[in-house]
Amino acid sequence: MVTLTINGRSVDAPKGTMLVDAAKAAGIEIPIFCYEPRLGPPVGACRMCLVEVEGMRGLQTACSTPVAPDMVVNTDNEVAKDAQDGVLELLLANHPLDCPVCDKGGECPLQDRTFRFGPGETRTLEPKVHFPKPLELSPLVALDRERCIACYRCVRFSQDVAEDAQLTFQERGDHTEIATFSGDPYEGRFTGNTIDLCPVGALTSSPYRFVSRPWDIKNTPSVCAGCSMGCNVEITERDNEVKRVTGRPDPNMAVEEGWICDRGRWGYPALRSADRIDSPVLVDSVGRRKVLLERAVAEAAGVLVNRDARVGILLGDPITVETGFLALELAQRVGAGPAMVARMGIPGTGLGPMRSLPGAQMDDIDQADVVLVIGGDPCTQQPVAELRVRKARRRGARVAVFGPRPSALDDSCEAMRTVPGHLMDAAGAIRDRLDGSQRAVVLWDEADLAAEPDAAALIAGLVQATPGARAIEMCADTSGPGLRALGIGTDADLLAATEAGEIDVIVTIAADPITGPSGDRWAQALVGVGTIVEMASHATAITGHADLVLPLLTPLEEEGVLVSMTGRAQRLRPGAREVPGAAAAWEILIGLTHRLGTPVPDRTPAQAFSRLAREHAPFAGLDYEVLGRDGAVITPPAQHDPDSARRDPQGEGLLVIACTPVFGDATAHRSDALASVVEPTRVGLSPAEADRLGVRTEARVRVATPHGEAVLPLEVDARLHEGAVYLFVGDPAQRAMRLLPLDRGPVRAVVGVAAREEVSA
Amino acid sequence: MTTHELEEFLAPMRHEYADPRSLILPALRYAQGDAGWLDPQAMAAVAEATGFSQAYVESVASFYDRLYLEPVGRRVINVCVTLSCMLRGSDEIFEHLADYLGLDGEGTTDDGMFSLHKVQCIGACDRAPCLQIDAGQQIGPLEPADATCLVDDLREAAAPARYDR
Repeated sequence: MVTLTINGRSVDAPKGTMLVDAAKAAGIEIPIFCYEPRLGPPVGACRMCLVEVEGMRGLQTACSTPVAPDMVVNTDNEVAKDAQDGVLELLLANHPLDCPVCDKGGECPLQDRTFRFGPGETRTLEPKVHFPKPLELSPLVALDRERCIACYRCVRFSQDVAEDAQLTFQERGDHTEIATFSGDPYEGRFTGNTIDLCPVGALTSSPYRFVSRPWDIKNTPSVCAGCSMGCNVEITERDNEVKRVTGRPDPNMAVEEGWICDRGRWGYPALRSADRIDSPVLVDSVGRRKVLLERAVAEAAGVLVNRDARVGILLGDPITVETGFLALELAQRVGAGPAMVARMGIPGTGLGPMRSLPGAQMDDIDQADVVLVIGGDPCTQQPVAELRVRKARRRGARVAVFGPRPSALDDSCEAMRTVPGHLMDAAGAIRDRLDGSQRAVVLWDEADLAAEPDAAALIAGLVQATPGARAIEMCADTSGPGLRALGIGTDADLLAATEAGEIDVIVTIAADPITGPSGDRWAQALVGVGTIVEMASHATAITGHADLVLPLLTPLEEEGVLVSMTGRAQRLRPGAREVPGAAAAWEILIGLTHRLGTPVPDRTPAQAFSRLAREHAPFAGLDYEVLGRDGAVITPPAQHDPDSARRDPQGEGLLVIACTPVFGDATAHRSDALASVVEPTRVGLSPAEADRLGVRTEARVRVATPHGEAVLPLEVDARLHEGAVYLFVGDPAQRAMRLLPLDRGPVRAVVGVAAREEVSA
Repeated sequence: MTTHELEEFLAPMRHEYADPRSLILPALRYAQGDAGWLDPQAMAAVAEATGFSQAYVESVASFYDRLYLEPVGRRVINVCVTLSCMLRGSDEIFEHLADYLGLDGEGTTDDGMFSLHKVQCIGACDRAPCLQIDAGQQIGPLEPADATCLVDDLREAAAPARYDR
């Protein structure tokens, strides 16, 4: 600890602390614009933090001056105040002061600091520099060059955090402007973070442009349900609508560090997409019609109460743990006996050894000496994880990426492309990288290692044998870890029972089995089901077949707990309630138990969570208060299964590598804001493979697996491996996921030229 | 300008710079020698030879007045307009040259022969009013008539093999 004096007060701070942080800890605000420790070392670009340090010549920038013993610092004497006045006067010399029409107005650090520290008037008589405005930096980010104070935050984010090397400063002096090379659009997975970082109104969100004023909105901290990362976000509500999603101003440093991906940021317009279900629908002898929610719940209870009804409950994704728990409760109260409850997901078969490894949190990557990414592609499937991995590499950690997919990390990290279906081949290289490491963190992909249990067992052994090595599972589903902790298994048995005619009533919750893996089998099986009750936020492939449709709220609108891929249980908080006729799944489930005459004692998700924490060991000791601001880490059971063996897919054709980019998921397709960046569902082939199949010049190709077939756009990409067909899935309209087996395991596909009528269709 | 040529040019000086970013400036100046300005291909070659992004290279180039991001004439005439030269009549020199070249202020002649620019102090106040052709020596003190003679001479001269700007 170092003791120094700031404004006459004695302050203690750890050695190496910058003056600005030491003052902040003591409750003294030194104004800043460019200082942001998450972007790396301070740059001292804005000069706002000038303070007087007695004995040092001239004024010092508090953001880049470390504390020293017996230092005497003044931040509010005449000299310092004069400097603050002067810097603000210069920063504002060319600033248009158009606060009344600026989206940042009211939540603008420049505005706030000018009020608090500024001179209040200007001596500048010269005309201000004008730029045409606004400039579209990308379809999502608008740039107003007149408002920019050249603090470098956005440029540092692009260069040093996202490492997309796109944003730079052009020209100099009062003509300095943010730009990309040759005016190309700013492309990337994280571009929106520059908006959160901008301390003025220079970078604003185009979809949020002129939408609201800070005093008309309500901000709610919550968690993004877009992937298993569990990034903490803040939801902006006005008029019962989600108007904006941003990174949380007080980031969860153990998860996302305040960075969120553009899919998480601009997915919210999907709440208002045309296929949103806005009212319950009842189909009976009278016909198909909209009914009130109370009536719909009563109808559902009427079906479930039937003593002869054999019931199955199918959970999709994302599902809160409260909903999972209440589904289990409902299962005990229905029909002919306990209902089968299953989740759509990947069975844990063969993953036991990997899941038994000591777990790591995202911030452990910051301390790691070796970081390995095995299978999957965090850059597209859990995007914010990519930023941690890049940070580790910049710090000097050894980072290596293994797997069959090309990755955005390939350029800057050691990359080993394995032959599709042979992650095992990477074992030697993995052993080499782990050898001698002290604090290795291994990120492994649930889907890829579940498909290769022998590789999983071998790699788990290597990690286990490395002292200090820990693992993070990159989960395929947002709610997988939470539902696993409740002991809810995957849906193979439920499908088998449905096919055998042993299910009379099926209740789906946020699930679309016909669009999902083995969708054609599900479609066939559901024909024999007497009653289908669907709970969903958006229309799915089964909505047209359902006898009763109950509209759900989305994760941005509901309360509950999600467990992230690192086992962190975090609270969702409702940001808005856009559809008055819809309800949260937990509300409907509680309502059903009341209608069935055997009510659960819970009235809120908080009560349900406290009760499930008592009944399910992984959650022991937790309640909403304990979860607090940053959540709590649980360990879902491994579901160890030692008898798993390698499964080589039968049949002819190429091995399918399934890719599930979040920028191509259902929400991305439904959000009009993301139209410019959405990833289409498509087939990827290497040039050689495309030549061999004679489809190189085709726009669309036919893909057929034993589970179904589809006609999809073709993308020929030299980075893809030969001997495999890459299937990029996610668009609910294309329903390509159904080509995969139910367990999403290995499968082969025949790829060929699509017939003319298929192409036009 | 190819990446390979640039790499050969940079090879002997790589060890002189602790931070490889410092290589960008000599590389840009060398690359400009081919066409007299930095076309996108030259910029891409600099990016590749130095290992930085094109956006960053462009950012550096845009900072400097003498690195041209748009085509300029075969010869660039830089008239100093800072204090000493201004007091000694650089305005007249500039106006006279602009008239003579048929330009309305700064710009490039239609035949692509000359670009006329106002520049800040070129460090030759003792020879004010003064101008500079490309990165060559400062010429001064000048009378308006001297300046037009200079232009005539330059028009007769052959195009330089490489531009030094």
